[in-house]
Amino acid sequence: MAAQSNPLQSSVKRSDQWSNLLVAVGETRDRAAFADLFKHYAPLIKSFAQASRHEGWFPGLNEDLVQEVMIKVWQKAAGYNPEKASATTWIYTVARNCRIDMLRRKSNTQHLPLENEDYWHEPDEETPTLLLQQKRSEEKLRESLAQLPKEQDEILRKVYLEGKSHAETSEELGLPLGTVKSRVRLALQKMQILVPAEFQDELTHEQ
Amino acid sequence: MNSKTVHHPETSMLLEFSAGTLETAASICVSAHLHFCAHCRDSLLRLDQVGSKLMEDSQAEPVDEALFASVMERIDRLEDGASEPDKYSQVGDYPPSVNKLIEADDNPPLWRRLSGSVDVASLKTGQKKFEVALHRICAGGKTPKHDHGGLEYTVVLKGSFSDERSVYSEGDFILRKPGDTHQPMGAQNGECICLSAQSAPIKLSSPLGFIMNNLLRINPR
Ligand SMILES: [Zn+2]
Repeated sequence: MAAQSNPLQSSVKRSDQWSNLLVAVGETRDRAAFADLFKHYAPLIKSFAQASRHEGWFPGLNEDLVQEVMIKVWQKAAGYNPEKASATTWIYTVARNCRIDMLRRKSNTQHLPLENEDYWHEPDEETPTLLLQQKRSEEKLRESLAQLPKEQDEILRKVYLEGKSHAETSEELGLPLGTVKSRVRLALQKMQILVPAEFQDELTHEQ
Repeated sequence: MNSKTVHHPETSMLLEFSAGTLETAASICVSAHLHFCAHCRDSLLRLDQVGSKLMEDSQAEPVDEALFASVMERIDRLEDGASEPDKYSQVGDYPPSVNKLIEADDNPPLWRRLSGSVDVASLKTGQKKFEVALHRICAGGKTPKHDHGGLEYTVVLKGSFSDERSVYSEGDFILRKPGDTHQPMGAQNGECICLSAQSAPIKLSSPLGFIMNNLLRINPR
């Protein structure tokens, strides 16, 4: 059944290996491409699962999460838009949603799965410039993430990987909530994730 | 939709949304805002990139060798069955995160009169901290001046309203805290529908408000 992964349409400029494979899964249900994605991402998703410090999470759930995420990847791949994000970013959001879903399922009877499509389907006016900017920002991100001061890096890891809220992080590190927020802000500014102007109105907003 | 929203959730909320640590009720409101706001979708994408880089750079954990086979087995079973519906049908003209709540509810939310010019329809979310509801203010409708007993997130889904501080239109995201007293008014040119999440009832500021205050309560579903 495995069709050869087909080259991307000419309009699509993103061409990293994983994004190509994900497009192939979406367009032609390419099982060989899916197997490659599995080989690369399953261990990363497991590591993401293992990092969780959510209440109620236990090691037995780690490979359950890998399964859930990879099945979602297969089912939802057609909705992946390589112009919007890299495969890794898209799969991260699937993993994040699945991790929350598994936790909510444990604690709730009434439960609604989170879906990327809740907002991913919005048609943004993507332009080549935008895509270029994003690619550049992804590259810059890689460098700047490695250069963050320890105290900022630590907080980002707690929030993204361990799944701690800002409030929980502040409690755990014995820091005021304001300090946690401002360290996060500094980190985002340093990585040029958000421009300083955005913080300005936010500061007035928060008072 | 890419309307020109001017009121956005603060960055730390978007970051918590991106990391998946934002509580359910607030997430529903942020989701609804994202439906309207290209600016925040763009910020979110970059925040998601941070998460994805952290995941990508983490130490890969070998998985059980049988795992791939069991995933493929489940996929085959899924493919045999009826294909799952991928899109939510349009219950109303609401953002997907809201439509989903309405559809999942066995007892579809009903409008109930709150005051002369405001109707409310409570949404079932399964969490108990916030009441999540739709509010409908009729054209030109006045609401009583009130303070907030807790946090209140509001996203304008349709039309617009104003208070002493500003005018809020489609997509705008508003956070109110205790001490924020205001008197919202529906726009003259049509009804306004908002999504809101309240952690505590509002407190009426009028002289006779104390009578009504006893009747005001939140009912998280
Ligand atoms: Zn926004």
